[in-house]
Amino acid sequence: MNMLGMGIVFASGRGIDSLDRALHEGWQAPAEVEIKGRKSFAYKVDQQAISDRTLLKNMRRADKLSKMAVVAASEALAGGMVNISPSPHPSPTGGEGAKIGVIVATALGAHVTTFDFLDDILEYGDAGVSPTTFSNSVHNAAASYISSALGIEGPTLTVTQFFFAFHSALQLAQVWLNEGRCDYVLAGTVEQYGDVLAYVHDTKLVPAHDGRIKPFNLKPAFQVPGEGSVFFLLGNNPGNAFCEVQSVSVNDQADNLPPADLNIIDADGLLEDESIYKECLSPDVPAAAYSPLFGSMMSGSAFNCAAGALMLKNQKSYANPVTDNPYGFNIVNDTAPCSIELIRCVRYNCFHERAEIYLRGKQIGEGR
Amino acid sequence: MQSNEAQDLAQIKKTLKELLVSDLSLEDIKPEEIRDDEVLFGEGLGLDSLDAVEIVVILQRKFGLEVKDLENRKDVFYSIDSLAKYIYENRKKNS
Repeated sequence: MNMLGMGIVFASGRGIDSLDRALHEGWQAPAEVEIKGRKSFAYKVDQQAISDRTLLKNMRRADKLSKMAVVAASEALAGGMVNISPSPHPSPTGGEGAKIGVIVATALGAHVTTFDFLDDILEYGDAGVSPTTFSNSVHNAAASYISSALGIEGPTLTVTQFFFAFHSALQLAQVWLNEGRCDYVLAGTVEQYGDVLAYVHDTKLVPAHDGRIKPFNLKPAFQVPGEGSVFFLLGNNPGNAFCEVQSVSVNDQADNLPPADLNIIDADGLLEDESIYKECLSPDVPAAAYSPLFGSMMSGSAFNCAAGALMLKNQKSYANPVTDNPYGFNIVNDTAPCSIELIRCVRYNCFHERAEIYLRGKQIGEGR
Repeated sequence: MQSNEAQDLAQIKKTLKELLVSDLSLEDIKPEEIRDDEVLFGEGLGLDSLDAVEIVVILQRKFGLEVKDLENRKDVFYSIDSLAKYIYENRKKNS
């Protein structure tokens, strides 16, 4: 299946141009936050980035998680230039519409709103809880808002699976497309930063006291929590695709694939010891990790995939934003035009299971 | 006494307007732009049935008032004026 459209909202802004700019500019300091009187850092999405009155006109009650998801999904859909059908709303471009499914992958979902809901119960009793807070805390809320805001009437699902939620979403999208259940699938991820998450990061993991995630440091693995959303419009037709998702595997080697031209590792400090990533790095294949641009998120694979897709589309390698490299890995140090055909995105979970996404460039691949 | 009542009502209306804007996430409107006699639902401020339930929650949380039989108390929810009057009278009863 192909990545036909892409939308993103993250700490450095909204849209593919913001992603491209962030990849060019390299590491930027995260926002300073205070956790129980201590200074810490987080990559937070500015409210301005999700203030879209036209798109969100019927979403005043939505929480930040849902708004981020809708904004990213909307841009992915617009980028793919696909007509929506069946829909009570007229298609903006006319013509036959397409069946579209929505899959939201998230590790923690609406945890901020859920904790608000629980706080309300404790403070006011169960009769004094806001119905809006309750409805936003429901697991499928973000996916429902996407369907509603974009006029999509296809299947809608939320996948929660800590580190591999995005991988599962891609696998399911492939099934829906192959079955013909959908012509296209909007699959993506969304995570939100909040006080409870900040506390967990600060007390259970190793905070990066200088604000820098150092993906190649491995141990200790420093983290800075992040938030944001990235969505991809996926379809089996080639279109003007960013790239092809050639293979997605979880705890299983991808079959018969040549060595990648680039390894993107999802190391971001969420494992206490990330030495396991040594197993997937090779001196012959350059490696990159872009978590220092987005923050540490259990579904950060989607953000690294977005960077990979842009690399393949633009045929350009982007320098690692943080280049601390105590083990002397072969890492990408420069941003420069290059010929890349195959990118492997690798994530390990805390049980050292490995998930891989292979992205293949369309322009090069089609010529072969 | 009249002056105290007027002052109390004015304060309740100000608080209500601020709560409506913040707790109902009303966009493009400031509390001071809501008129005291503006119809809250439908054509006026444009609130809907879920907002009505949120207002019940606001009355309970912020003013300690329970509104039962919502369907038959539409008169209370007509405007800021009617809500403020309801709050003022029922607080007085409860005190």
